[in-house]
Amino acid sequence: MTLASVPAAPRKRVRRHMPDYVPWLLISPSVILLLALIAFPLLFALKNSFYFWNLQMGPTPLGFVGFDNYKMALQGGFFLGALWNTILLTVVGTAVEFTLGLMIALLLARQLKGMNVARALLIMPTTIAPIVVGFLFRYMYDPGGGLIPWLLTSVGIPIPAQGLLGSSTTALWAVLFADVWQWTPFFAIVLYAGLLSIPDDILEAARLDRTPPLALLWHIKLPLIKKTALIVVMLRFMQLFNTFDLIVVLTKGGPGSSTRTLGYTLYQAGMVDFNIGLSSAMTWMMVIIVNAIIGLFVFFAFRDWD
Amino acid sequence: MSSFSNFRPTRRGLMKGGTALAGAAALGGLPGRASAQSKTLRVLLAGDPFYYAIEGLKDQFEQESGIKIELEAISLEALQARLTSSFVSNEPDADVISVDQMWLGQYLESKWILPLDPFIKKDKDTDIEDYVPEILYSMNTWRGQVGTLPVASYAQMVFYRKDLMDAKGIKIPEDGSWTWEEYTDIIKQVNGADFDSKKIVGTVVAGQQPAPIVHMYTQLQASKGARWFKDFPAAPKWDFEPTIDSPENLGALKAFVELYKLAPPESIGYNWFDAGMRFAKGDIGMFYWWTAYSYLCKKDGYMSGKDSVVANVMGIVPLPKQPGKDQVVSLGGHSLGIAGNTQKADESWQFIKWATSAKTQKAMGLFNKFGYQFSDFARKSLYADADLLKIYPYLPGQLVALQAGNGKIVRPPAPVYTTLEGIYGLNLNNTLSGAMSPEDCLKQTSSFFTNILKGNFLIPYNQPSFDDTLDATKALIKSLA
Amino acid sequence: MDQTEKLPSKVFAYAMVVVLLLVFIGPIIWFVLLAIRPTATAFSMPPVLFFEPTWDAIRYTFVDPGNNRPQLFNSVIVAAGAVLLNLPFSFPAAYALSRYKIRGRKNIMLWYLGLLMAPPVAFLIPYSILASSVGLKGTYFSMILICQTLTIPFSVWLMRSFIDEVPVEIEEAARVDGASTAAIMLRIVLPLVRPGIIVTSMFAFVFSWNNAAFPLVLANRGTTTLPIGTLQYFGTAGVTWGFIAVAAVAAMIPPMLIFLALDRYVVRGLTFGSVKG
Repeated sequence: MTLASVPAAPRKRVRRHMPDYVPWLLISPSVILLLALIAFPLLFALKNSFYFWNLQMGPTPLGFVGFDNYKMALQGGFFLGALWNTILLTVVGTAVEFTLGLMIALLLARQLKGMNVARALLIMPTTIAPIVVGFLFRYMYDPGGGLIPWLLTSVGIPIPAQGLLGSSTTALWAVLFADVWQWTPFFAIVLYAGLLSIPDDILEAARLDRTPPLALLWHIKLPLIKKTALIVVMLRFMQLFNTFDLIVVLTKGGPGSSTRTLGYTLYQAGMVDFNIGLSSAMTWMMVIIVNAIIGLFVFFAFRDWD
Repeated sequence: MSSFSNFRPTRRGLMKGGTALAGAAALGGLPGRASAQSKTLRVLLAGDPFYYAIEGLKDQFEQESGIKIELEAISLEALQARLTSSFVSNEPDADVISVDQMWLGQYLESKWILPLDPFIKKDKDTDIEDYVPEILYSMNTWRGQVGTLPVASYAQMVFYRKDLMDAKGIKIPEDGSWTWEEYTDIIKQVNGADFDSKKIVGTVVAGQQPAPIVHMYTQLQASKGARWFKDFPAAPKWDFEPTIDSPENLGALKAFVELYKLAPPESIGYNWFDAGMRFAKGDIGMFYWWTAYSYLCKKDGYMSGKDSVVANVMGIVPLPKQPGKDQVVSLGGHSLGIAGNTQKADESWQFIKWATSAKTQKAMGLFNKFGYQFSDFARKSLYADADLLKIYPYLPGQLVALQAGNGKIVRPPAPVYTTLEGIYGLNLNNTLSGAMSPEDCLKQTSSFFTNILKGNFLIPYNQPSFDDTLDATKALIKSLA
Repeated sequence: MDQTEKLPSKVFAYAMVVVLLLVFIGPIIWFVLLAIRPTATAFSMPPVLFFEPTWDAIRYTFVDPGNNRPQLFNSVIVAAGAVLLNLPFSFPAAYALSRYKIRGRKNIMLWYLGLLMAPPVAFLIPYSILASSVGLKGTYFSMILICQTLTIPFSVWLMRSFIDEVPVEIEEAARVDGASTAAIMLRIVLPLVRPGIIVTSMFAFVFSWNNAAFPLVLANRGTTTLPIGTLQYFGTAGVTWGFIAVAAVAAMIPPMLIFLALDRYVVRGLTFGSVKG
């Protein structure tokens, strides 16, 4: 097992005598197709974010309204509240999934007998469609006979009378738990592979130095798997940021607005209220935020990258 | 207005045959075209009890008409998403569709569905006069046109455990001669009682936002005389000035909060069936809800076919009143319409006529694959049908409730209703949870309503109004009969 | 390491593994049981572990009337179609990004990655309108096409890591013999990275299979996929949990089997080829 994102070697072997356009010719079909598929919705949203187009009012746009849709998105109060919930969900979710995943990875990395089977089974939650995970947890959270409230109460952990999804103090965490359940194995397996790829001689040297286990993890192992970790953290961070299907199935943003995320707010404006102008404005606000986050990632984390 | 069509990548979609033909039919070209090429009809419905009955009976229709039916059921939300995206993109997705009463006006005005008037007029055996007019008024008419016909119609009534009330010596009036205050007092009396080896909880609410809590609360609101808007829809000149923040509504909301205190705390997250099925478990004293729960609560689970513990001890009576106010009952349900872009308008009409006919509706009531579970008739004649009365003895009371119904007052089908419902539902839910006081809830809701209605050019209202009254609907029925 | 472990620590490790499997696999089994449970035991307190299985839900969903049976078929078509359409676009791009030092390569790679982070919910209505304006609404092809926004970026990344492993000397020899770039790519490299193609395709299959957002607005009755099929049992009058569970379990099985079959490559797939696993 080797950790090698883009090995340095092939770069040296790259041919330079070939005409310049060949690689572009090979890349361009995919880029053109993807550009077309991504540009249409973005331009569609950009244009309509400046129009009054609410399907509850009429089938076609009723006129140019400037930045009114953007103002409405911000004044409605939902956008900023939802942004806060989204950031909470995303930051805590990624951190918890990463930490738990790392702990499990360390356990798996002990390579005891039978661990391979456990590892192969452990990834199963990650393979399930998010919408199905939503139904799975809705079933298990049911206050009137779900497995999770029953387990919690039988071990003496009090749960809110309104149920885990019904109380504004627990609902967001209950949604988060479903996501953690699905994606912790993902981190565990990926980080486990990263840990295994650390060359034995480095670990041997550390052992001879009598490096304490935590220091070994923090100063030697983690820096060595940093690159892998960054990619998966970034991917997961953005997926969590875009979460809406889990919310649709589990809470509909409630109770109150305690689980309303940006993704769900957008879903409600577009797919429930069918206010295309408003949802287009929200789309662009979200696209800008998403790009800013990706930009930060790229700037800070991927700077010294191949 | 025209700017968007310039932006559309191609206008081919708009010019497709289906649209043109459907347009012709909509413009008054009466049905009568030669039947379409393939005799297959796509029917898109919400997956509620009526769906399972239709699914079980569709063979009959196929044999009688020679038209093959492709039934599809999806959840209410997915249905709305599918339909709207199909209409915006002008691509026929189904021929016969379920149309929510709140979207009826928009569907008709956007020509997403065809008006049914010409079809009804042509086929006298539609027997339009058999319908309870309050239902057609509430669910199926808009600006003097019939847009859909009801396939399942619900009112709201009170459900209670008879044996519990008997044991406590409480008499519940069968004729609706009681008040909301008395209703709440009875709930208080039974709350916390030990009965039938259960700890009884007084009542149950549906607290989930947006639709369930609004469906439940607005019944109380309307009964207590509070209204959404200054003048809509029965008014010569519409005025959407919100009247949510009124003393009547504050009284209603405080009463609702009190009911929630007598309900299981987790019911703040309950949707329609969560509330209904909680009652079916037997630990709820009394609650009010859609009449579909008359049969649903008799089963221990949806589609289980097995009796619940309350199956034989359920009392079903009309809603309490507010002294000095006229009773207004919420009406809801599912209705069928013909998609505006279908190429099979005639066949679609045949199916709608079949599904809403007295004969089919009765067969749906007698359909017993998952236990009897359909008594949501919109036709008066079926409420006197001996076979149906044997299975659904509560039908006479249900008819009384339907006839006191006015869906357009309880949940007015204003053009941006869905958005308003989203905000109202959120604030009501926050009020139940204690995050907001009833006063703040109404004040905030009212100001949000004003903003949204202004933002959507509904305040002031400058488009033509339509004096939408029950009498106008009755006249319309007469003209079509 | 195995030998140096002390016994108590080993016991602890195994105990932890058992707990982990309970936490992560237990819920799945619980859900599978729901598919064959009598309705009355679905929400019993305390939970009922043993019961007489009922096949009613399976019969209704897959036999009579069997609404979900064609959806299973549709899911296969969409996912398989997405895989087939994906290859001719992603393989040449992966090849070029592996073999040529072109300007902005890093940015192109990151751009591909960035596409996967776009909020899908924002694109539903535009895609629906786009599909119908080109006459593709409701077709398998519309879903297959839109799935490419997921599968191509992923495949380029993963496939590139496989191509990187093929020694470039093999190509040089062919080039000296006068072979064209296309010939080298298709006749020499493609066969050598066959395992990579298979792994990439299987992951692309799972990604497309699990996508529920696009079929929601692009599919019609005839073409809708299995994850959407679970939604139909979530009515306003009740939830038929048994039906949902059967449809959901059916939707779960193929990805699980693929992951088990690809065990060796799971890590590589999940990290887009950046970890060889």
